[in-house]
Amino acid sequence: MKKITGAKIVIESLIQENVKVIFGYPGGAVLPIYDELFKQKKIRHILVRHEQAAVHAAEGYARSTGKVGVVLVTSGPGATNTVTGLTDAMMDSVPVVCLSGQVPTHMIGNDAFQEADIVGITRPCTKHNYLVKDVTKLAGAIHSAFFIAKNGRPGPVLVDIPKDIQTFKTRYEGKKLTKKISYYKPTFEPLKDEVDKVVEFLSNCKKPIFYIGGGVINSGIKASKELLELMKKTGFPCTQTLMGLGAFPMSDKQFLGMLGMHGTYEANMAMYNCDLMICVGARFDDRITGKVSGFSPNSKKIHFDIDASSFNKSVNVDLTVKGDLFRILKLINEKISKKNLLFKKSKYIEWWKQIEKWRSRNCLKYKQSKKVIKPQYALQRLNELTKKLNPFITTEVGQHQMWAAQFIEFNKPKHWMTSGGLGTMGYGLPAALGVQIAHPKDLVIDVAGEASILMNIQEMSTIKQYRLPVKVFILNNNYMGMVRQWQELLHGNRLSESYMESLPDFVKLAESFGATGLRVEKPDEVDDLIKEMIKIKGAVICDIVVDPTENCFPMIPSGSTHNQMLLGPNDKVDGEISEEGMVLV
Amino acid sequence: MIKLMEKFQKREWFSSKSNMNEKNTKHILSIMVDNEPGVLARVVGLFSGRGYNIESLSVSEVDSHKFLSRITIVTSGTKLIVDQIKAQLGKLIPVHNLVDISELNSFIGKELILIKLNVKDVVKFELKEKLKKFGAEILLESNSEFIVQYAGTPEEITKLVKLLKNTKIIEQTRSGLVSMATGTDYIKK
Repeated sequence: MKKITGAKIVIESLIQENVKVIFGYPGGAVLPIYDELFKQKKIRHILVRHEQAAVHAAEGYARSTGKVGVVLVTSGPGATNTVTGLTDAMMDSVPVVCLSGQVPTHMIGNDAFQEADIVGITRPCTKHNYLVKDVTKLAGAIHSAFFIAKNGRPGPVLVDIPKDIQTFKTRYEGKKLTKKISYYKPTFEPLKDEVDKVVEFLSNCKKPIFYIGGGVINSGIKASKELLELMKKTGFPCTQTLMGLGAFPMSDKQFLGMLGMHGTYEANMAMYNCDLMICVGARFDDRITGKVSGFSPNSKKIHFDIDASSFNKSVNVDLTVKGDLFRILKLINEKISKKNLLFKKSKYIEWWKQIEKWRSRNCLKYKQSKKVIKPQYALQRLNELTKKLNPFITTEVGQHQMWAAQFIEFNKPKHWMTSGGLGTMGYGLPAALGVQIAHPKDLVIDVAGEASILMNIQEMSTIKQYRLPVKVFILNNNYMGMVRQWQELLHGNRLSESYMESLPDFVKLAESFGATGLRVEKPDEVDDLIKEMIKIKGAVICDIVVDPTENCFPMIPSGSTHNQMLLGPNDKVDGEISEEGMVLV
Repeated sequence: MIKLMEKFQKREWFSSKSNMNEKNTKHILSIMVDNEPGVLARVVGLFSGRGYNIESLSVSEVDSHKFLSRITIVTSGTKLIVDQIKAQLGKLIPVHNLVDISELNSFIGKELILIKLNVKDVVKFELKEKLKKFGAEILLESNSEFIVQYAGTPEEITKLVKLLKNTKIIEQTRSGLVSMATGTDYIKK
């Protein structure tokens, strides 16, 4: 076998991992790898305009395909720019492998030009990371990175490759892991007696609810199928987290809407009043639970997860089942069939009656106006007019994100990409770019706010370069809406620094990047704008001027419980928000 | 040996240290890790990053063929927190095996202390007698100083320091607890 350079080994390893696309930005410390990229045709490189965007694009690619997203950046600033993206991928369990260049090994620690201790910096925000100091260990590190990124609970892995290692030669011996991780074996198979207990719980409840999270989506389409079967067998109601939307069809009657801080009244009330909660791949995040001490006080709780550290982290549960959700759900379904268990409708009729009562409050209603566009209306129309095309939706972070979660219906997994855990403004545009690369023929829409979109607006240039038909749907309210909403509710309406001054002309901005810009200000123009947007073959930026004063409801104020929701602008927080609540975000 | 084991039965060892918060208990975690650069930073960073407590820490290589190190961490927290610490540690890739020694029936926990004493104005043979009786060893002896070594439980070490309170202690250093469960089959790899 011929000896090849480290840079060549990087490319060989990526090919072996079946990588088709990488997102990156060149620089001094990765030039040998870029040179090898130049000489081959199997891997397509997408040149982003900022390294943070490279990671978000890889996340969008990964979340819409289920594959590992790959990033290639240079040392120092190139690497440090990925930190936000890596943290985002960590929080939302997205499989990403980030390859970073590093100064030559003999210069490490010398404060060399463009040197940063990226392995030290990213230690807490990656699942694992490697600094490769020996070229014979390079291939092992890269293959291990892929293995770790996609196995167990997915997450980001960084491989730091000094420049001299890229030029040293060795033999490439194929897809082998480093010896040291041979014992990293996440458990996929749940324990039999735990599954039996789950079935017992299921048959002994009167007011059940399934609480479904992003884990189902990570487990794959097979898990969604098993979940659907279980839902149909039991006839129980369910709610989904922000990350879980689409795991179970949202158009189904059994779905009560998203839960949590901006979840629906019926979902949150059902969570509060249930007697059995079955958590499927969610993690009792603080956006979901509200005040933990008052979280669903009278229920038994079951938790399925692949990650043992998710169990009993913030909420104590009665039964935990560790394993791959697909396997867990499958075994439960089999057990139910084997036992011929029937879930008689009459047993849950009272519960459903109660739920319908909550549902009839119609908590997502808003006051329609003829003069100004309500953001909810714009999204409702977007949903109606694009539904048939089964679009991929990404979002930025803020009010528009919550409204998108409330008003857009996802009936399939992997069509909804949003920054949930970290809440990264600027996520949506690069993520949409990554999704579009993976699905060139599909409709990809970034639902954005005018503040968030400016955080990674430079990616319009990438979109131009690769002629990506990404649609950007900006709900422009001239404010950082969510910040303004909190200032209104919690800080005496003192709107400190939340007004967006000196916004660009988004139509001209679109045009300057070779895209089409559309702007509307009246409700009756919205439909035409959306139809036009779909019709246009290239990228579009839609600037939808919406009511600047609209707030996102329902809302559970921080430090409150699920039964203390604010349903509309006329609901006031009872007295002042407690000091305990004030310090929470 | 049997006497030692009785001494370290967990209840006895822990109940003597009553915490303000009843639910907070002390735990000794023994962790087998790859001896590679950054592994200690991963473990310690996990504790600081997530706000967990480290009461003592000791680490050294124990298997030079397999490049394994053993880390002993004494930590404290409610059951929920300690379970979370263990689950988080278990997720670290270089962690091979993790045992909560304090949850086992019997174990030994020892610490080493070195104390440097100023002995200029001291009746040396009396001090020597005292130290000998306690079981401490004098490693270095000169006209002006003694360097004393002693290995024992944290309580015994505190007792020794108390015993020497009338002698001038120039400096002292402690190794942190190292611990081992009894039995032949528990920490593998």
